[in-house]
Amino acid sequence: MNTIKSLLTLLLFIGFSGGFVACKKDEVAPVTLSGNTIKDLAADPPSGGYNPTNGQPIGVTKKYTLFSFKTGAQVANADSVSSKWDIGFNGTNIIVNSGTSGPGSASALVQSGLFDQITTAPDTGYAQDNKAATPAFYTITRGSGKGWYNYDQATNLITPKAGVVLIFKTADAKYAKMEVQNYYKGAPAAPSSTTADRYYTFRYVYQGDGSTKLN
Amino acid sequence: MVKRVINYCLIGMSIIAFNPYLLAQSVDLDSLKTKELEEVVVTATRNERTVGALPMPVTLISKAQIKTMGSVRLNDVLTEQTGLVVVPQINAQGNGIQVQGFNPDYTLILIDGEPIIGRYTGSLELSRLTVGNIKQIEIVKGPSSSLYGSDALAGVINIITERPTSTRGSFSSRYGTNKTIDLTGDVSLANDKMGLYVFANRYTTDGYDLSPQNYGKTVSPFANYTFNSKFTYKITDALNFSLSGRYFTEEQKYDFDVVSGDVKVLTSGNGNTRDWNFNPVLTYRVSPQLKTTARFYTTHYKTTTELKAVKNDSVTYKDDFSQNFIRPEINMEYYFNEAQILTLGAGHINETVQTSRYGDQVERTQQTNYAFFQHEYNPIPGFSIIAGGRLDHNSVYGGQFSPKLSARYEASKKVTFKISGGLGFKSPDFRQLYFNFNNTAGGGYSVLGTEVALARLTEMNSQGLIKAYVDDPSTIGKLKAEKSIAVNAGMRAEIIPSLITDINFFHNSIDNLIDTQIIATTISNQSIYSYRNITRAYTQGMELNLSYPIIKKLTTSVGYQLLYAKDKDVENNINSGGDLSYYRSPETQAVGQLKPSDYFGLYNRSRHQANFKLFYSDKQKGWEGSIRIIYRGKFGLGGIRGNIQGEVVPSSDRDNNGILDSYDDFIKGYALVNLSVAKTILRKIRFQAGIDNLFNYTEPIYIPNLPGRLMYASVNFTFNNKSNQ
Repeated sequence: MNTIKSLLTLLLFIGFSGGFVACKKDEVAPVTLSGNTIKDLAADPPSGGYNPTNGQPIGVTKKYTLFSFKTGAQVANADSVSSKWDIGFNGTNIIVNSGTSGPGSASALVQSGLFDQITTAPDTGYAQDNKAATPAFYTITRGSGKGWYNYDQATNLITPKAGVVLIFKTADAKYAKMEVQNYYKGAPAAPSSTTADRYYTFRYVYQGDGSTKLN
Repeated sequence: MVKRVINYCLIGMSIIAFNPYLLAQSVDLDSLKTKELEEVVVTATRNERTVGALPMPVTLISKAQIKTMGSVRLNDVLTEQTGLVVVPQINAQGNGIQVQGFNPDYTLILIDGEPIIGRYTGSLELSRLTVGNIKQIEIVKGPSSSLYGSDALAGVINIITERPTSTRGSFSSRYGTNKTIDLTGDVSLANDKMGLYVFANRYTTDGYDLSPQNYGKTVSPFANYTFNSKFTYKITDALNFSLSGRYFTEEQKYDFDVVSGDVKVLTSGNGNTRDWNFNPVLTYRVSPQLKTTARFYTTHYKTTTELKAVKNDSVTYKDDFSQNFIRPEINMEYYFNEAQILTLGAGHINETVQTSRYGDQVERTQQTNYAFFQHEYNPIPGFSIIAGGRLDHNSVYGGQFSPKLSARYEASKKVTFKISGGLGFKSPDFRQLYFNFNNTAGGGYSVLGTEVALARLTEMNSQGLIKAYVDDPSTIGKLKAEKSIAVNAGMRAEIIPSLITDINFFHNSIDNLIDTQIIATTISNQSIYSYRNITRAYTQGMELNLSYPIIKKLTTSVGYQLLYAKDKDVENNINSGGDLSYYRSPETQAVGQLKPSDYFGLYNRSRHQANFKLFYSDKQKGWEGSIRIIYRGKFGLGGIRGNIQGEVVPSSDRDNNGILDSYDDFIKGYALVNLSVAKTILRKIRFQAGIDNLFNYTEPIYIPNLPGRLMYASVNFTFNNKSNQ
């Protein structure tokens, strides 16, 4: 009898603590900054598709598609030697405007977490690209599973890694967070190997007041 | 006797209480139980010991059981055992064996104590082995490197073949679905001094096609032949000689759709496999206390595959692999007295491999010298300890010591406790050391073994073929042996008379697991991989076996395995909310965080596995029969990838985070129902018919090694020289 009683107490206790955790989780922070979503930003899609024997893209410019968080718009490639852009895309490669990638002073870091829950940009840890290093260093690491995406050899599909948030200190020393959501045209949930790729869909939050607050 | 009857009545087991044969049956039950415990096995200690006296988990599958099941290949038998799962190999084809959640590469498979070679994709193809010449199969779970050296991490499966003990012969022929024909014959001749056993088997099948909409078959037609013989000669009462040999040859006719990118090429060709072994053994009983054995085992394996394009006969794929293994060994067994037995042994292994996959015709070699000891000690009646260890020194990866300690305690006649702990290891195989393989058919990636990677990368770099290094190539080091430290603890009990409960808890902690890792990309954006000791994992769980004779002739058994097999680093990462703890919903694409309980574990492991079996045998009337239900719980696929009939095997990792979690696609659990019935007439002629996979369950892409419903009928003739019995 005694045992049953203590078991019950234990169960009640677990029940309560479970409830407590649930309450904590449900707290929602007020959103002050509005997020933006960019759909289907073309990152040098091959005009001639892919070579069926070696898988190489046909008809690519090898030029980066440049983007500014401040303006929320694409920057013309003619302005590549300027601080007008923060981030550049070509295929799965992402560059940051600084170091060996551009004349700007932007820097970035990769943080794991849920986009909405990252409310403050870290003070330190930002890096710039250095392709002269061995192996070449890119702030947004290249290769499957290492940076922002996973590549499935069997299906040839690129999927953005869940929980990867890129945090930027932009050319004008402001903070932004960004998350790649899709790599295929139209952002389909289940792309196939024939879906047009090299089209970025991503969301970002830009903090214009210079603070590290990102929500 | 009277006491037993009273016990039955008291616990109110109506089935037994109403059984009119009750009194007669009790006698039989007693002998049945003792018989099972007194069956002699050799694998656990390398010496003849009874199953009941061993302190580690040992399973014995008898010839009678195999015959009643109607099985003809080794995979058919093993797939029905508790805790064993027959899984496709790394290329998604064939049949390997998973023991305690380990991949097939980590279980050593022996014939009469000698290793079978030919693991050219890492695991051994079980269907290479016919069961016609098998006397019994012994399975020891838990690391056994202390006696057997490399590869015995998960355990050892030892196939004991027939010996010439009497003069007799048999012939059987079996016909089944898919035009599968099995012809088996053996002859045994024996007198007081000499014995000769000769066995032959021919197995042919049309294969099967689970995806008829695609070109080719899931398993292409093949034919194979197995010859086996054993000669024994009693030179003196103390000196015995035996010589055994095996020859196996197989030819498979392929029709494939080779997919490379978006291009499909219809191909056809041949695969040939051949193996042989030869094993002279000399046993000398120096004194009643000292027995010595010397053996010289030699074996060879070769496989070749050549595929040609159907339209122009050009060679699209060519692959060959040949392996030699020579092992002289001596050992001795010394009986101090009833309570203490010492076993010592030493040997040398010379192994060579030559394959097109190493990029040249050079033969690679490895040598191992080893010595082992084992001491069996019974300090008091009912309590025994076995301590052992083995030292291996390999020319490539260096030294390795594998200890093992086991203990058994018989608390009462009805309850026995067993515990054993040990270390198992697997040396890096030739593939991981010397691969120089460019898979043009599989997308153009390359794999380089650690011993050749640096030189090959330097060469490619000087040719301007390397675009970027992902990792510094100079950090590719010497591979260490993969290791596992394990504990098995269990109990055998007969609380209710005749209901035998066998339970074993296991934990395997695995370190230095060798995994592929990308090291560079080429200018044409192909990946170059090499190997590293990176992964740490564990498998743990529980195995439960119950058996109970409902009536004299009808035995029922239930088996269950609970298994957790996880990557330690992944688990820690998820538990601490690290970068691996996120998933993307495949439907909404929303990102969320995994709870620790969301991590399912390694691919291709089922948390639950179970079986239920009924065996019927009436020796007097000549009837036998069985119903076996084999259940495998849900599992995920992803670690093993490949092409099945031109279709990519999809990964279960639907949320694409590289981890098998609750948001992924699982292959549903399934149960197979197998039936067999046999009738023997005139004590010589036995007819058998059966159905495997009665409800025709298939998973064409995910479980290609599971054919649909198979029906068969067979007839067997036995000739006995009565004077010899």
